[in-house]
Amino acid sequence: MLRVDRRCFHNFDWILLLFLLAVSGMALLNLYSASYPPVSWGMPPYIKQCYLFLMGMMGILFLLSFDYRELQYWNYPFYVLIIILLLVVLFAGKSAGGAQRWINLGFFKLQPSELAKLMLVVTLASYYSRKEVEGGYGLKDMVTPILLTMLPFLLIMKQPDLGTALMLGIIFVSMTVFARLRLQTYGVGMLLGSGATVFAWFYLLKPYQKRRIETLLNPGKDPMGQGYQILQSKIAVGSGGNFGKGYLEGTQGHLHFLPERHTDFAFSVWGEEWGFVGSLFFLGVYFSMLLWGLYVAMTARDRFGVFLSFGVVMLIFWQAVINLLMVLGFLPVVGIPLPLVSYGGSSLLTTLLALGILMNVRMRRFQTGQGMEKTSKG
Amino acid sequence: MKWSGYKNLEELSEHDDAALDSLKRRLVAVGVLILCFALLIFSRLWFLQIHKGEEYKNRADNNRVRMSDIVAPRGAIQDRAGREMVTNRPSFNVVLVRADSNDVDKLLKKLATVLDVDISQLWEKIREVEHKPRHIPIRLLEDVNWETLAYVENHNQEFPGIRIETIPARVYHYGDLAAHAIGYLGEISRKELETRDSDLYSGGDLIGKMGLERLREQDLRGEKGTNYTEVNAKGFEQQLLKDVEPLPGNDIQLTLDVDLQKVAEDLMSAGEKAGAVVAMEVKTGRVLVVASNPVLPLEHFVGGISHKNWNALLENPKHPLINKVVQAMYPPGSTYKMITAMAGLATGVIDRDTVLYCPGHYSFGNRRYHCWKRSGHGAVNLKRAISESCDVYFYQVGLRVGVDKLAEFANKFGLGHRSGIELEYEKSGLTPTKEWKKKNRGRKWQEGETLSIAIGQGFNLVTPLQICLMTATIANGGKQFLPQLIEKVTDPDGKVLEQFEPVVVEELKGEKRHLEEIRKGMVEVVQGKRGTARKVRIEGISIGGKTGTAQVVRLAQYKHLKEEDIPYKYRDHAWFTCYAPADDPEIAVTVLVEHGLHGGSGAGPVARAVLVKYFEERLAQAAAEAEQKNEE
Repeated sequence: MLRVDRRCFHNFDWILLLFLLAVSGMALLNLYSASYPPVSWGMPPYIKQCYLFLMGMMGILFLLSFDYRELQYWNYPFYVLIIILLLVVLFAGKSAGGAQRWINLGFFKLQPSELAKLMLVVTLASYYSRKEVEGGYGLKDMVTPILLTMLPFLLIMKQPDLGTALMLGIIFVSMTVFARLRLQTYGVGMLLGSGATVFAWFYLLKPYQKRRIETLLNPGKDPMGQGYQILQSKIAVGSGGNFGKGYLEGTQGHLHFLPERHTDFAFSVWGEEWGFVGSLFFLGVYFSMLLWGLYVAMTARDRFGVFLSFGVVMLIFWQAVINLLMVLGFLPVVGIPLPLVSYGGSSLLTTLLALGILMNVRMRRFQTGQGMEKTSKG
Repeated sequence: MKWSGYKNLEELSEHDDAALDSLKRRLVAVGVLILCFALLIFSRLWFLQIHKGEEYKNRADNNRVRMSDIVAPRGAIQDRAGREMVTNRPSFNVVLVRADSNDVDKLLKKLATVLDVDISQLWEKIREVEHKPRHIPIRLLEDVNWETLAYVENHNQEFPGIRIETIPARVYHYGDLAAHAIGYLGEISRKELETRDSDLYSGGDLIGKMGLERLREQDLRGEKGTNYTEVNAKGFEQQLLKDVEPLPGNDIQLTLDVDLQKVAEDLMSAGEKAGAVVAMEVKTGRVLVVASNPVLPLEHFVGGISHKNWNALLENPKHPLINKVVQAMYPPGSTYKMITAMAGLATGVIDRDTVLYCPGHYSFGNRRYHCWKRSGHGAVNLKRAISESCDVYFYQVGLRVGVDKLAEFANKFGLGHRSGIELEYEKSGLTPTKEWKKKNRGRKWQEGETLSIAIGQGFNLVTPLQICLMTATIANGGKQFLPQLIEKVTDPDGKVLEQFEPVVVEELKGEKRHLEEIRKGMVEVVQGKRGTARKVRIEGISIGGKTGTAQVVRLAQYKHLKEEDIPYKYRDHAWFTCYAPADDPEIAVTVLVEHGLHGGSGAGPVARAVLVKYFEERLAQAAAEAEQKNEE
């Protein structure tokens, strides 16, 4: 059933793999420091992350074994599965900080909302690649993708997980704009969008979520709460100076001034210990990886491949940007991880699978054939 | 549904290619977008790490390094023989670090019940320093006992934010001995904090509040050390980074003699007397005894005095808070007669053989001035006038000399101005002159008033120290020394920083002969048959002295009462001042007993006991020799 062209090995995306390994290596190194000194109980986060990384790599291998175009058929079953998981989480999930986000699988806690991001990328890529409209999409064309986005969005909002829900919105907007709308559709979209924002502010957002946004707008208001986290993160990064305090020498992280130092604020630990130079290096590699992702999209064989690669790049890019801007004090604490770097199995697996898709697109860039039925053409 | 193979290459139309290309072209814009964000993030990193790097480095250090003071052990206070009077002991305070406690309210409630203290008292302590950073420790309870200490230490898990702080506290080896001179410590007040060097003091510090503890604060306090501790975000201490050891304060050796001081205080206390005892070395001005009764309960001040105890001190009619040696003024009474005598002799209005007649009163103007002996002393010369304290004799001498001359000589013996002893709030006393009255009372001097002055009443006011100084000056032949309380100050290594040598403030020159005449009279006071202080006599030691009675009020209604029936507060003050040995004076002792009636009986015994103690060895030796002689 699985037919892998020989050329696939020749065309394997070694560069992306190299980027992936470099970023993951630094991330694991950083995670060790962020969870140092090790706690006496339980598995240390960096070990756990190692296992999950290996799991993710196997997932990539599995993904590479078939052509990415198969995803066009699998995307709806995949979509339904994720929606079911999100429903399961809502009714039987484990809660953390008042939010229900996990399904406990024993060896790790699955966060279906993370997988939902990738699912949305695949779903929208599939939709937009199949439906090609001359001169941009109209309102009518948008009904399906909006509904497809709204369903998981609302379920995640309900958990509540503002950050991830926001990510779905951003992915939707990115991919839709990339797919190109008609001008008037933009206008209507913006109207609807601002209406939805107002509605969300008054009816959907939990008080703590509102406070986070308010804190950003007025940081002095809440020095010991959200503002405190951001301030401590800024102090951590800033105190790194030119060359940092040295590996395992960060005081902000190790003395627990940094909140969430191995998850959302993992980059603060890096910035503190490696300084400006280390941070530039790390981010250089990271953003190069993203640009390479765009190159993969450029060289993709078909429309689906372009959309898929673009979506994956956007998925990682926006999370990274939002996380970094938060860590550096430009955005409120929204709970969006830095892909590959922040500790968290679901995010890591999702990101690795996303990169696997990217590799898949790259690997099969020369393969021709348009096997699937086009729903619309011309 | 199954996707099937790669065979439809031809289906890829030109049109599709163009659409795909236009799609791909948009990717370039996306790349630019990514680069823009990367640039934004890089510049933000530059801003935080390079531009503001130093600032954030400092903030990170402020975060993690907690500096706390290590209290320096205060210098010790010793007596002249090097006996430790005041040293330090470890004292345990219960302190609260608000930053370490997540629920101060709950914590205090629990603590209050466990320690059995009023919770409002604890809140009070917190309110005082509310404006300070939350990691600054607040002393809730000071100098707690061992049980409390053990309980809090053993249950520290239950009291997050509560710590035990060990600081040196004062320990008084001789109890309240010389309490007024030594003084006490108290928590620095906000006002003191503002005026003092802010580098040296911070809230909660102990500072000398009275006596030498206050005057010699600079010597005694030492220098605080600093403890640099790394703390985590919850304020829990991680590791000690470094310790700068405190520098102990300098030690002060006093000129006091604890044995003599003890004798004086014990006798005063035993009679429940209010008053003062001063003794000094005649030839140096070094003070041997400074006792003010009632004593201050020094122990009550360790760890902060309670309101109850403080109010008791304030309301005590015998004014224990006042150091009566220098801070209280009394009419000198008959002890002043030596001044009058000296003025008479020096101005030549009398000589030692001048005989004046005392019929028991002296008429001047249209008034009659009585002698204390209504029946009169008859013909009186200087020696008798002093030994029997004849008022009429001194009325006449005073009149001849005049009030201004009296004041001049009083000043030469140390009256009327501060002696300069290292004790606080010393009163200058008052030696009235004509000019003084004109200036301060706005009225002309009445010659009749000179009569009162001549016998130590009227406007005259002195401190017990001044009378002792006067006595010493008479005894040593005219040298008025600076009374000294401190022998030397040494640093913790034993190096002498300050050594006090005797200082002559003023010397009465060419009056040795006259002084000798006065001393003869004074010896007669004690040793003579009719002397007013015969009870003070000590076998083997010749003493010169003078009694005095300072009138408190002159109320007609009490005139006819027996002395014992006069209410306490209207009774006269009793003076006794003396020196010994008479032939080569070493020590001068002055006793004032408030409302003690008569100098000889009220104050004399205290002075006598001090002298007995002072000459203890010599007396014992003399007794032994006498015994030997008897045996022979």
